[in-house]
Order: sequence, then C-alpha cells, then structure tokens
Amino acid sequence: MAQKLPDIHKKALAPIDMVRYSGASGDFNEIHTVPKVARSKGFKEPIVHGMLLMGWAADALDEWFPGRKLSKFTVRFVGMAHAGEAFIIEGMLTTDNAGELQIKDASGTGKLVGSFELA
Amino acid sequence: MNQEFHYAPFRVEAGKIREFALALGLRNPVYFSKEAALDAGYRDIPAPPTYTTVIDFWNERDFYQLFKVWGLDPNDILHGEQSFEYEKDIISGDVISAKSVLTDRFDKKDKRFYQIETTYRNQENEVVRIGRATLIERREQHGAEIAGHS
Repeated sequence: MAQKLPDIHKKALAPIDMVRYSGASGDFNEIHTVPKVARSKGFKEPIVHGMLLMGWAADALDEWFPGRKLSKFTVRFVGMAHAGEAFIIEGMLTTDNAGELQIKDASGTGKLVGSFELA
Repeated sequence: MNQEFHYAPFRVEAGKIREFALALGLRNPVYFSKEAALDAGYRDIPAPPTYTTVIDFWNERDFYQLFKVWGLDPNDILHGEQSFEYEKDIISGDVISAKSVLTDRFDKKDKRFYQIETTYRNQENEVVRIGRATLIERREQHGAEIAGHS
C-alpha cells in the first residue's frame, strides 16, 4: 500500500539563513558559515547543517501528517548542501504508520534520506 | 570505549523554541502560540522534533566540551547519521538532563566514525528522548570525497 506523499519544494537558503540557524541551534561550527574555514577544510563553500535539513524533514512530516506525533525518526546525510540551491522533499508512506523520505536538489542529487514511524 | 559525558540540566523555554522554529521555517502554530499548543493537547508549547540540538549546544556543559574531552576538533567533524526515539513530549518549562555515551568507534579508510547515544530525561526522571548520532572525523581534508560517505 505504498503511497507517495506530495512533494514539498523548499526555497534556496541564503548564507544568512545558515547564520540564523547557527545562532538558534548553538551549532557554531564554522564550516557552516565562514567561507575561509569551509575552504580550508576542503569544501568549495560553507555547507548546510545536517540538522537544519533534518528539521526541514520534520516540518515536512508535520505538513503530511498534521497533529500526528513521531515515535522514531532516522536520517542519513548523504550529500553536502549549500546556500543558493533549491531542494525538494519527497516522501512515501509504506505502512499505515511508517515511511521514508528524502531531500534532493534540483538535479536529483540526494542530501538526506530518512525513515520515520508515527506514534 | 564507554566514555560518558553529562550535560548540565537545561531549562526548555518558549522564546528559545520560537527562535529555533523560526530559523527552521517551521509552520506548526504549536511552536509559536500557547493557545495553539493547548488546543493541540499539550500542557504548554512543545519542543520541535530536532530541538535536542539546542539542549546539546546551548548548554553550560555543551557539545564543544564533549568534543574537547573526547579529543575532537569540531571543524573536522561531519554529521553522518542521526536518529531519535520519541518517548515523551519535551515541553516549555521542562528541565532536561542528558547523558551521552560513546557506544562505538571505528576507522574506515581515511575516516574515523564515532557512534554516540544520548538519553534525555525530564525533571521527573522520565526518559523523553533517545538520540543516536554517527559522527565522522575526517583524517584528510577532501570535502568532495566525504559526500556519500557510505
């Protein structure tokens, strides 16, 4: 009974959005905000916090299943995400209470894959 | 192995939840309005599903101290995987205590993997959440090779 969930389109992040998430979360790892540090660590530019993507995925679950709580939520960060890239969140319900989701960029490259169970 | 780290007790506050929810662009009104939270059956504003990050990082004994104690440089660490088990709601006004345990550490190619399990308890000593993280320490600095590390 696998059921595809409606795609959710996310607007591209601006660099300041990553600064805002750093402040809100307390994760001030500079590879997310300081281009010089990101480059010194081998990245072409700052990379989006994995937990920002997981937060988006949780928001998608809220949109797909309003009023339902999570019991388990697992994600793997499979690719680097950057400011200026638009993302699509895709989901699939595989049983009444569980499913899978992923976040991809416009070219289809995966950034996050995950699974969830609703309470 | 079996290294442990204890975070300081952390008070969950509605204003910090609001800031965090805004930074993520969350749209559920329960994170912004006590009335909406009560209508949804919560006793006050609830913490979003990934809020434990705030408890880890805005803590008097924070994740950076864990890094230091365990000998890690945060700028060399990537987050590979994260999972949560949700046992009970975390609600504004709760005081959360958390303990992290290094459950495994292994090397694969030029990377070292750390598996950390963190148990979060509320002021009633009830387990509210269990987080499991896989962190990846890069022994060589080639970002492009890390993407799709599995």
